[in-house]
Amino acid sequence: MVGLASFAVAFVVFVTPFIFVALNAAKTAAGAATLDFSLPKEWQLWTNLVEVVQARDYMLLLAYFNSIVITVAAITLLVIFGAMVGYVLQRRRSRWNSVIYGFVLAGLMIPPAVVPTIWVLQELGLFKTLHGMVLIQVAYGLGFTVLLYRAFISTIPRDLDEAAIIDGAKPFQVFIRIILPLLKPVTVTLIVVQSITIFNDFTHPLYYLPGRANVTVQLTLYNFQSQFVSQINLLFMNILLVTIPPLLVFIFFNRQIVAGMTSGAIKG
Amino acid sequence: MTSKPISTIMLTAALSLAGGSLAAEELTLLVGSNPDSIAIAEALTAAYSERNPDVTFEIETRPGGSEGDNIVKTRLATGEMTDIFLYNSGSLLQALRPARTLVPLDNIPNRRNILDSFMRTVSDDAGSIYGVPVETAMAGGILYHVPTYRQLGLEVPQTWAAFMANNARIAELTDKAPVIQTYRDTWTSQLFVLSDYFNVQAEEPDFDTRYTNNEAKYASTPAALKGFERLQQAFEAGYFNADFGAADYNDGLRMVATGEGVHYPMLTFAVAGIQQNHPDELDDVGFFAQPGDSTDVNGLTVWMPSAYYVAKGGDHVDTAKDFVNFVATVEACEIMTEAVGATGPYLIKGCTLPQSVPAAVADMMPYFAEEGRTAPALEFLSPIKGPALEQITVEVGSGIRGAGSGAELYDRDVEKQARQLGLPNW
Repeated sequence: MVGLASFAVAFVVFVTPFIFVALNAAKTAAGAATLDFSLPKEWQLWTNLVEVVQARDYMLLLAYFNSIVITVAAITLLVIFGAMVGYVLQRRRSRWNSVIYGFVLAGLMIPPAVVPTIWVLQELGLFKTLHGMVLIQVAYGLGFTVLLYRAFISTIPRDLDEAAIIDGAKPFQVFIRIILPLLKPVTVTLIVVQSITIFNDFTHPLYYLPGRANVTVQLTLYNFQSQFVSQINLLFMNILLVTIPPLLVFIFFNRQIVAGMTSGAIKG
Repeated sequence: MTSKPISTIMLTAALSLAGGSLAAEELTLLVGSNPDSIAIAEALTAAYSERNPDVTFEIETRPGGSEGDNIVKTRLATGEMTDIFLYNSGSLLQALRPARTLVPLDNIPNRRNILDSFMRTVSDDAGSIYGVPVETAMAGGILYHVPTYRQLGLEVPQTWAAFMANNARIAELTDKAPVIQTYRDTWTSQLFVLSDYFNVQAEEPDFDTRYTNNEAKYASTPAALKGFERLQQAFEAGYFNADFGAADYNDGLRMVATGEGVHYPMLTFAVAGIQQNHPDELDDVGFFAQPGDSTDVNGLTVWMPSAYYVAKGGDHVDTAKDFVNFVATVEACEIMTEAVGATGPYLIKGCTLPQSVPAAVADMMPYFAEEGRTAPALEFLSPIKGPALEQITVEVGSGIRGAGSGAELYDRDVEKQARQLGLPNW
């Protein structure tokens, strides 16, 4: 009974909007403009799909490429640096700890200013480049990542490190051989949470990554949406296409997310 | 015998090589994401590249609305603006501080082709102009459902009283909504106030300068207050569609096109939306100017189109100027008409409209044909337009706030912007 009820709730909350998007993606522009939850009078799923993919000289394909490059690169860096910083912060007590921890918290709390950040990027020659964008995403995500890793590492008994050291492991080997494999649950959580955030990010690429060749998937939504004349059917088709990669990630890693979230949450 | 063709080939090759290396340029152009703006940009740049094969263009898009304003300001502030960009004329342009960020276009050869009425909206205090108009002018007024008018034997109202009488007849004889309001898209709520400006300036000819100088106020000028009062009257008479609080702009277009509602205060660019969503009903939608107090004073409030601007500090300023110079020609108008059709008059001398235009556009043309029956909207005459007007008109239109109180609140809202712009007397 409870199972049935939860299934019904999940259906209403998660599946209904998806069906709504899919139905509207198959309509004509006039049919979709009313935003009804109804079957299309004329099915033109394929025509809409082709039109969205071909729009503005195959911009969507380029956008997929850019977004995937940014997401994969940023996640890789986040996991490597987040785990290392979290490990050192948790294990080694020094007077720098509170300072570094303060910076991590500041990164979470203080909203970044756009124009000065662009100046910094311009000075470094990173503005309007994909690797510049990767670094921006790493900077924005690092606070959360470090926090999560630090909390998780505190649940790993220190005895493991000591046993490894007695067996002759160097500090770096302790991290790579012993700690890193144990971090798998929290790493999966991070990959899922951060990749969805970065893939779905709209405002940062809008400001930090201008230029036609630098478009990301979320920015392609603006091909079909404007203040006065919107092509709602194509917009929904685009949303549908953009939603698929995060959805796949979520479906495959769903179980691990919950496990990782709770296992890091015991100790602060 | 054989040497001649060979040398010709070599010569041609050498020439084309030289040509290629001399002036191959790629310009960037930033436009709004409206499909029409993109289609126009593509058509104009293609035509220019055909004449100047060395010049190619890369078109970027940006969102509209306040997000678009932020993008444009950010990119100008960081020196990352494209060579040419599309942006509003009037008060929004003034907020960019054109003298500091844009290249003056006073010495382009086709400057004399631009109509004076437009030039005012893209110039600074020193009299330099910065933009070349793209697309056509629009008008603010009332879209109406022609078949209902015919069925009830109504006439296009020349005065506000006649307009309200028409509404009363519609309410009495049909179950259609006399006036359509769509407050989910808050910007649509401002039209009764903004389109009333023709009537304001007919009664108070120097309202715009006194307004800019902080001498005239909406709340204390009876003529200006009327716009707010008219909105309140229409609400209090109960003429709005039942779902006016939740309906959006697309709903409004549907209602006026299918006759669920009869009057929709709107700008004429709505014709493009009706064309896309309700092509069969396009000619059922007519248009008239927002009526004033007397039949003698009846005219149209006009919105100037956006313009192409050339940003300072680009690498291709001269080519960019040559391109905008090309945009200010009759030929460019024809390219634009061919690309997206026309929804109003052009601001370039000598440009004409095609024979067949939608009914609503045909209805607005007679106003332009007569002298003194059009006036630019206030936002093109004064740099001040408060950011919260749409929220205030939603309040007035929903009966939450009275007209007088709404006008006072708007006067206070405007102060902030005037101070930001550093205007004297504020």
